[in-house]
Amino acid sequence: MGNVLRDLRPLVAAPAATKPQCSSLSRSFHRATLRLQDDSKSDKPPSSSSTTYHEHYQAHSAEQDTAAAAQEDSTSDPAADQASRPNTSYQDQGGEQGEEYETEEQLQARILTAALEFVPQHGWSMEAIAIGAETLGLSSASTGMFYNGAGDLVLHFLAQCNSQLTDILAEQHNQVQLGQAERKKTADFLRDAVETRLRMLIPYIESWPQAMSILLLPHNIPDSLKHLSTLVDDIWYYAGDRSTDMNWYTKRAALTGIYNTTELVMLQDSSPDFQDTWNFLDNRIQDVVNMATTTKQVECLHQIALRRNKGVKR
Amino acid sequence: MHRAAHTALYDWSNILGPAMIRQCLNCRVPPQLSSRAYSVVPTPCDSEEKEMLDRMLRVDHAGEYGANRIYAGQMAVLGRTSTGPLIQEMWDQEKLHLSKFNEILAENRVRPTALLPLWNIAGFLLGASSALLGKEGAMACTVAVEESISEHYNSQIRALMERDPERYTELLQVIKEFRDDELEHHDTGLEHDAEKIPGYWLIKNAIQLGCKAAIYVSQRV
Repeated sequence: MGNVLRDLRPLVAAPAATKPQCSSLSRSFHRATLRLQDDSKSDKPPSSSSTTYHEHYQAHSAEQDTAAAAQEDSTSDPAADQASRPNTSYQDQGGEQGEEYETEEQLQARILTAALEFVPQHGWSMEAIAIGAETLGLSSASTGMFYNGAGDLVLHFLAQCNSQLTDILAEQHNQVQLGQAERKKTADFLRDAVETRLRMLIPYIESWPQAMSILLLPHNIPDSLKHLSTLVDDIWYYAGDRSTDMNWYTKRAALTGIYNTTELVMLQDSSPDFQDTWNFLDNRIQDVVNMATTTKQVECLHQIALRRNKGVKR
Repeated sequence: MHRAAHTALYDWSNILGPAMIRQCLNCRVPPQLSSRAYSVVPTPCDSEEKEMLDRMLRVDHAGEYGANRIYAGQMAVLGRTSTGPLIQEMWDQEKLHLSKFNEILAENRVRPTALLPLWNIAGFLLGASSALLGKEGAMACTVAVEESISEHYNSQIRALMERDPERYTELLQVIKEFRDDELEHHDTGLEHDAEKIPGYWLIKNAIQLGCKAAIYVSQRV
């Protein structure tokens, strides 16, 4: 695919060299047809957008005979280009300065993020995606990109919530490392992490049962399980779990159980600010803690008994 | 002497650490993936590499865990005989290997194999039953297992060298050192009359077949 796009470039760059006043138009076309080629190109250190644009354009046109003319164009045009860009849809929202080209995944992500706003009204459906695409200035036919339909929207929302949670947990972790915050006890940490994550569902709580049923469709189950396992793994990692034996599995299984049951309770909770749900969560976590304590106590007793037996034998 | 070598190795990997950080900044990876600045394993560039490294580390961890349990089983039977100190020495080295892999797994958030309880029991039974055949039996089991493990480490070293020897320098050092230790155990086993047991060829191949199956399964489950 990269080769096909590279072949398109001579067609696009040639007019740019010959007609400087139309170069901004052809450069928009250029941008619309090109995609990010390598990850390595995007890893340049942040610099002012005009110089990066210059480097980009130079990299692409290096193989061409019109390189000299193209260089003149690119040095004179970035400022004009920025003024003449009709909308901000080509400007990167991910944080890297001067990223001119957007991948398909990034575009899909932007459409789905925009679509989330319309979910309370239209549910988790292609309609919401279509309206989201329209708010970005794209045609509603761009929903054709989403083969999984509503499933894409729900999975995108899951991924977004999980990465938000990871950012919050990482920030807390940094603060503890810097000594600016106290380290929480494991039970409290788990409780806060699950509560934070479940609170992200509150704006969509009316339609969440529909989302859950979408996630239970057979073709969505692998992805939803993957998101769930990543979520639980992240929470335990930041809670400080570094186990490398069966505890790795039991801890994650316990937390998965806690999370899923609390989510279900939240769906039919009508108390103010979901207080019943948080009480339920507290109780479940306390159960797990009690179970762990009891296991330890039984183990200790077992060790004591073993030692006593050895002593008697000798 | 081995402990001094171990500490020297870890100091060296600490010095080489910063160079590796610079190398890995080329990859767009969220910083929370590796909790320490100095790491034996480079931060993976993409999910394919992460999966490959995960598999390797998982099976290595399972291998060392199994070896630990095998020596425990042998000590349970032969601990009070004259071979006891020899087996204890080899067991201590395996314990060091296991703790190193525990560290690496925890750092790199690698899932341990779900079959650990199985390797726990199977390893102990293998060690104990081979030791019941006497000192030669225990040594034959050691020879078979260490040969399998060394072969396995060698194939991992080959795989890493094929991909990118510079990127995996520290990891290669660790694996090479462990492989050398395992070969030493293998030679020790041979020195101490492993081949004198009747049915040596049968025992050795049966155990090696079992090891191969265990390695195959642990990479995946």
